[in-house]
Amino acid sequence: MRSLLMPALIFTLALAGPARADPAAEGKVLFEQKCASCHTIGGGDRIGPDLHGVAERRPQEWLLRFVTEPDKMIAAKDEVAVRLYEKYNRIIMPNLGLAENDARALLAHIQAASSATPPAAAAPPTPLRMPRPQLIAPQSTILVAFLALAAVIIAVFAWVALSTRSPAEVDVKKAYGVRKIFFVTASVVLVALLIATLPRAPYAGADVKPDRIVHVAARQFDFVFSDEPIVSASDLGRVPTIQRLELKAGALVEFRVTALDVNHGFGLYGPQRQLLAQTQAMPGYVNRLVVRLAEPGQYKVFCLEYCAAGHHLMQSGVTVN
Amino acid sequence: MRAIYSQTLYWIAVTFVLFPILVLLGIYMRTVQAGGLAGLDAWFYPMMTLHGVGMVGVWYVASMACAANVLAKYVAPSPAIGRLALVGTVIGVVLLLVCVFLGRFAAGWYFLYPLPFKGEWPAWAAVVFLLSLTVLGATWLVWSLDLLRAIASKYSLSQALGWHYLSGSGELALPPAVLIITVSLIASVAALVAGVVVLVLFYFELLIGAPSDALLMKNLIFFFGHTLVNLAMYLGVALAYEVLPQYAGRPWKTNKIVVISWNTVLLIVLVAYFHHLYMDFVQPGVLQYIGQIASYASAIPAAVVTIFGALLLVYRAKMRWNLASILFYLGLVGWAIGGVGAVIDSTISANVRLHNTLWVPAHFHTYMVAGLVFLVVAYFYHACQEASAAPESTGYHKLLAALLVIGAYGFFLMFYLSGAYSVPRRFALYPAELGHGAVYSGIAAAFAAVFLLGFVLYLVETGRRWLKAVQAA
Repeated sequence: MRSLLMPALIFTLALAGPARADPAAEGKVLFEQKCASCHTIGGGDRIGPDLHGVAERRPQEWLLRFVTEPDKMIAAKDEVAVRLYEKYNRIIMPNLGLAENDARALLAHIQAASSATPPAAAAPPTPLRMPRPQLIAPQSTILVAFLALAAVIIAVFAWVALSTRSPAEVDVKKAYGVRKIFFVTASVVLVALLIATLPRAPYAGADVKPDRIVHVAARQFDFVFSDEPIVSASDLGRVPTIQRLELKAGALVEFRVTALDVNHGFGLYGPQRQLLAQTQAMPGYVNRLVVRLAEPGQYKVFCLEYCAAGHHLMQSGVTVN
Repeated sequence: MRAIYSQTLYWIAVTFVLFPILVLLGIYMRTVQAGGLAGLDAWFYPMMTLHGVGMVGVWYVASMACAANVLAKYVAPSPAIGRLALVGTVIGVVLLLVCVFLGRFAAGWYFLYPLPFKGEWPAWAAVVFLLSLTVLGATWLVWSLDLLRAIASKYSLSQALGWHYLSGSGELALPPAVLIITVSLIASVAALVAGVVVLVLFYFELLIGAPSDALLMKNLIFFFGHTLVNLAMYLGVALAYEVLPQYAGRPWKTNKIVVISWNTVLLIVLVAYFHHLYMDFVQPGVLQYIGQIASYASAIPAAVVTIFGALLLVYRAKMRWNLASILFYLGLVGWAIGGVGAVIDSTISANVRLHNTLWVPAHFHTYMVAGLVFLVVAYFYHACQEASAAPESTGYHKLLAALLVIGAYGFFLMFYLSGAYSVPRRFALYPAELGHGAVYSGIAAAFAAVFLLGFVLYLVETGRRWLKAVQAA
């Protein structure tokens, strides 16, 4: 009997995992890797609720279960879980595959961080609608060029349609002459446009010397900035991250953009709320986006590649001084 | 020929049922973005997926069905394979509905790897989605191959591509529709093979855990998607080549220029897809430049040969204007205008400011709705009217067309304005900074409703003829 009990005890202990030296420290790493894309502790609500003081608001048993199997609790129509789901844009908290020990470590970190930081101040009310921004170049040029060409096409088609009111034979030879002129003109215009635009492609050469390099790791549903490379989710919590990215006006900045889960887009919007530059964030690759942000002000970063339910909530900010 | 015609009537019915539903989903999406359906916004992304896959699929099969019907005049497509395509498409659509409505699958119509495996939907929903695409892809591939087989039974490859015109030997008259359909079907096979490779790589990961390379998958998916959409458009243009001359009372024949033009299109369409990956800076630079050059080059055969040819066909012709000829003509206008929007977006330095903004749906809705849809529904009306010989009112047909045009172009304009103002595509709701996008969405929803009204009136007008055609068949 004793010989049977010992292996069973060892097996149980092995399942329980090694004793954790500092659960709060481990919880901090886990939080950065698994939770920080949707939650803050004292930083206000994001995709999900601010977790500051959550241990005081909910029973521990409930928290442990929700962290380890949120999908089951929502499926079982747990009252609080369903209320949270409704409140936070009906985005289901995913099952992150965390064990109970992980959940305990996370709670330890949340408790420690909650007592070390004050709760978030009430955010200033965000206006539902801001005034329409001013249309800037080159977008304005693009729009005008498009509308002008569309108008020409409509005019030509309308003219030809109206010509059918007075039917007549057409001199095909003359028409082919017109077509030749059209062909030559269109070809010359397109070649000229190619010559003018191809050198303006945004791809940075290897010899570019930026004033600053910022590493960007995109994940569902936030952007993580760092001065050091973040190549996988396991780097989160270990590599120091930048909470508020501030850049010098006029500096040449290289964003090295990657993704930790699915494809995202790194779209940089200027103070006029118009897109200035962008690149894709792709798992396994680093895209180098080199920009000079000349104008001081608040810039926004929006995800420009659809990445699941929280896509439209995935954003960040950059301050240019 | 009769069996293929009967199948075309079935395809018309399928399109008439699915298209208005998919338009309603589009109106739902724009209304949500306008902030008008609070509480229903959680369905935005699943419906976006259904709208995208549904629209691309419906208009691909609709254009293929019309192409098969045109081909049946000259060669003999297999009715059995035609039935297989119909049954396969219905099964694929049912699977798609299951994964979207029961599983809330929402990876979008081009389901970039590895999103299908990493969304908030259950794993089974992703599997059902992949199965749906497998059924659709496999049956469409067999369908494309059968139509090519039918062409090959009468024409050699060089004849079907019109190369004998280049050597000055035009004894074997090749209808331009057959030339364009051949080009489109070769592209279709290439696109669907790429789609099969994508699915196999997804299944590898699913079954043996072998991950794929995200950049390779993106190239394959965009090659598949870009080519499929473009070849559907070309099939629509083939219908115009086939039918518009009947209304103009003039021929529109194959000649050396038409052959050079469409052979060039075949080469260009296979490499222009690189323009979808401009913002993937790790893609080799030479491919990015090829993308822009090919995209610009595609404008020449389209504008100089086909659009110019269509204008020459109609100019001072004794046109018989009815719903078919009006919509064919308008379809070419939509193709041209959408093409301009696309060429602008294919400029790398402009793409930095436009990629994944609403400029993208702006131009593809222009050439899909005001281009391909107009061309195909023109053919539908033409086919039903030929069989029914019902009396027509040109005035009423002009009114119908006006409703469709006002609805469609008002709807597109909101996309173009939003794109120019940097409003991103595929946002269920807009943050305050981009709140102007909501205003454009609301106006767009109203215009889309006008378009839908026009389409319902079109349905009544064509549906009556379709019933007579079914009875006659």
